[in-house]
Amino acid sequence: MTCTQLKEKLDDYVDGLMDRAESATLGAHIENCNDCHQVLARAQGLRASLKAYGKSSMPRPDATFFDRALARAAQTGIRRQRNRWIMTGAGGIIAAGLVLWMLGGMFLKTPEIVAPAMPSIVMTLEEPRTLNLVFSSATTLANATMTVVLPQGVEVVGFAGQREITWITSLAEGKNILPLTLIATSPEGGELMATLRHEGDDRTFRVQVSIIS
Amino acid sequence: MSSLEQNQRASFDTLLRPHLDRLYRLSFRLAGSKPEAEDLFQDVLVKAFARLDNLLDVREPGPWLCRVMYNHFIDNRRRIRRARLVCVEESQLRGQSLDSLPGDLDPVRDAERLDDIMRLGHALATLSDEHRLVILLHDIEDYKLAEIHQITGDPVGTIKSRLHRARARLRKALGTDGTNSRP
Repeated sequence: MTCTQLKEKLDDYVDGLMDRAESATLGAHIENCNDCHQVLARAQGLRASLKAYGKSSMPRPDATFFDRALARAAQTGIRRQRNRWIMTGAGGIIAAGLVLWMLGGMFLKTPEIVAPAMPSIVMTLEEPRTLNLVFSSATTLANATMTVVLPQGVEVVGFAGQREITWITSLAEGKNILPLTLIATSPEGGELMATLRHEGDDRTFRVQVSIIS
Repeated sequence: MSSLEQNQRASFDTLLRPHLDRLYRLSFRLAGSKPEAEDLFQDVLVKAFARLDNLLDVREPGPWLCRVMYNHFIDNRRRIRRARLVCVEESQLRGQSLDSLPGDLDPVRDAERLDDIMRLGHALATLSDEHRLVILLHDIEDYKLAEIHQITGDPVGTIKSRLHRARARLRKALGTDGTNSRP
């Protein structure tokens, strides 16, 4: 090995990336070459200086900085989630202009309601869209269960991969608005179902979701 | 806070805490000053929470987080004012006043060590951003070439060549072909 070759390979040697045979060859050259011995010593010295520099030049964060940073990130994230989807307190359904009136405590017994043609919405692939479900109730209904079943290729933002989402909600007297921010991840589309259950009774509302690219 | 939100927060904390130290160090190496490093660090944690679903599926969150930080830094480089380490005053080396350097109990040697640190800081500041970053990550923070590839996306061969040139430039900037040795 020549001195020029050694200098080209020195980084690998100092970094421990050289195979055993080549390392032995380089080592043998260094033992017999004072100049290369000096070059190696300087390279190793620089590494040591850089390590010492690294230790000395790093500031310490305050004792509570990590705790505060994690908490702040979670708070920000949760606040943004809530702004996208209100899950508590009110659940209601209107799909593309359909308003369903719920009368009294026996809210499902509404024979006067004639189901219109299934409402529909059109979504663009990968573009979020908020679907406002508005539900009007003549009375407060506590501890109702809302279940949303999504068609293939549609997700609720913040709930990636989940086709069915269920939560407990209470309905206020009057209009209750539930915004669902949806995103189409693939072009299938289909039927979105929202089912409201209360004390043994249930009602399902459907929206046809079409997706364009 | 709902139980879902509490679970999210707990998962986030558990997932990230083992990586915070290294992430903090990377933020400082990228940003160059403590206030900007902490801003960068906070921004990345917010991004990580927003992608918690993805993060829970990642086998090695550490490199993933470093990559997010590096990309965020590059995207915001004009906004994040980089404090080049042009002049390192003694007060900026936290805890490294002469009184607090781990002692040889030899004030002359302690002063030399502080001087060495400052000279190296000046020399690093003369390097290009690319060269300085690869020295900081590999030679100072002990990232392997493959890890630097995961962070920056650059091929390992490119990183290796860059490191080789960066070391050569650093040696030249130090003016002694790479040594801080004293007679």
